[in-house]
Amino acid sequence: MSQSAHCNDRRSPRRGRIVFSALVFAALGWILASTPVWAHMVTILGWVEGDRVYTRSTFSGGQSVIDSLVVVYDDQGNELLEGKTDEEGGFSFKVPKRSDLKIVLKAPMGHMAEYKMAASELIGEARASETGSPEVEAVASSHDSPPPEVPATATVALTREEFHALIDESLDRKLAPIFSLLAQQAGRGPRVSEVIGGVGYILGLVGVALYVVSRGRKGL
Amino acid sequence: MHISEGVLSPGVLVAGAALSAAGVAAGLRKLENEEIPSVGILSAAFFVGSLVRVPVGPASVHLTLNGLLGFLLGWKAFPAILVGLTLQALLFQFGGITTLGVNTLVMALPAVMCHYLFGWGMRKGTRPHVLPLTAFACGFSAVLISGLLLGFSLYLTGEAFLPVAKVVVAAHFPVMVVEGGVTAACVLFLRRVKPELLEGCFEPKRALQ
Repeated sequence: MSQSAHCNDRRSPRRGRIVFSALVFAALGWILASTPVWAHMVTILGWVEGDRVYTRSTFSGGQSVIDSLVVVYDDQGNELLEGKTDEEGGFSFKVPKRSDLKIVLKAPMGHMAEYKMAASELIGEARASETGSPEVEAVASSHDSPPPEVPATATVALTREEFHALIDESLDRKLAPIFSLLAQQAGRGPRVSEVIGGVGYILGLVGVALYVVSRGRKGL
Repeated sequence: MHISEGVLSPGVLVAGAALSAAGVAAGLRKLENEEIPSVGILSAAFFVGSLVRVPVGPASVHLTLNGLLGFLLGWKAFPAILVGLTLQALLFQFGGITTLGVNTLVMALPAVMCHYLFGWGMRKGTRPHVLPLTAFACGFSAVLISGLLLGFSLYLTGEAFLPVAKVVVAAHFPVMVVEGGVTAACVLFLRRVKPELLEGCFEPKRALQ
């Protein structure tokens, strides 16, 4: 057999071939890695829209985390509510309490992620509920289509609170798609630069190890 | 197969880290100077291999390659996998720093076990078709045992063992098959281009020097 012959030539020029095979392998992995990856990491991102908090959960690579438990805690660590993500990784709930919220996603196989939402993010909601929704609706309708009995030159008197509520409401509506997009971005897979960096790091470690070994040999 | 931060209890984390440290120490003690490059290259393969996704119906899971590392490296799979996992945690945010010990154990212990179960296929004198078969079995069972260990570590933290283990093993069944195939293909490739890498594992190292 030729195997015994190979066994003796430990320092043969074939050494280059193992590097070649590793490169082929790395390239293969790289090509396949350009498609989404699953089961590495999960992320959850939350945003406020009106009086509801919306969350979106994704795996690295952007796939949705479906049918997984989401638990919401307050700043004291008390569990406020829990629920399951839908088919798009979304889960929404009415703001339960005006405090810092911790939204924890518990995905299967030991994956977990959390999102902290500061109480200040919920203030707009709290103000809206304080002023009462009927008023807000009335203001909104007068804004959309002024009633005929009001002269066009008449200014609609708004209190400071109502004004804030209006701005918050329309900002929430406008920003919702951006938050949704951010949630998808947060679940992106590793970049090529990170992959190459990691491989380079390992080769560097090998170099350091060989350097230390060769120095040790010289010292002997 | 990467357990996230905050899932496991501190006791499990510490125990996992301690056992992994022992495994890494054992691997480093067995590491010969000439083997440093091959351990490094396999560590890089492990690092990149986890990016290869295997589609499973609606979802997909990734390769681990711990069977290949175990088959070729034995105890030296411990340091190789630790390095790979550390970089995955730092660069990709897979798993986490506190769970590094447990994750290393979950991946590397099955690798070592499979080395001793199936590594005899590399020995000189075995028939040629034995090598791919043992390599396949090695890749297949390493993932299986990893899945069971993952379920067990979640069980120690308080989750029910059977449902978790069922989910993990069921989700990884296609990976086991692919992993077995990849391991067999790699080993066959190595037998062609670098046979001494395979045969070296079971020879007494000291006798060579």
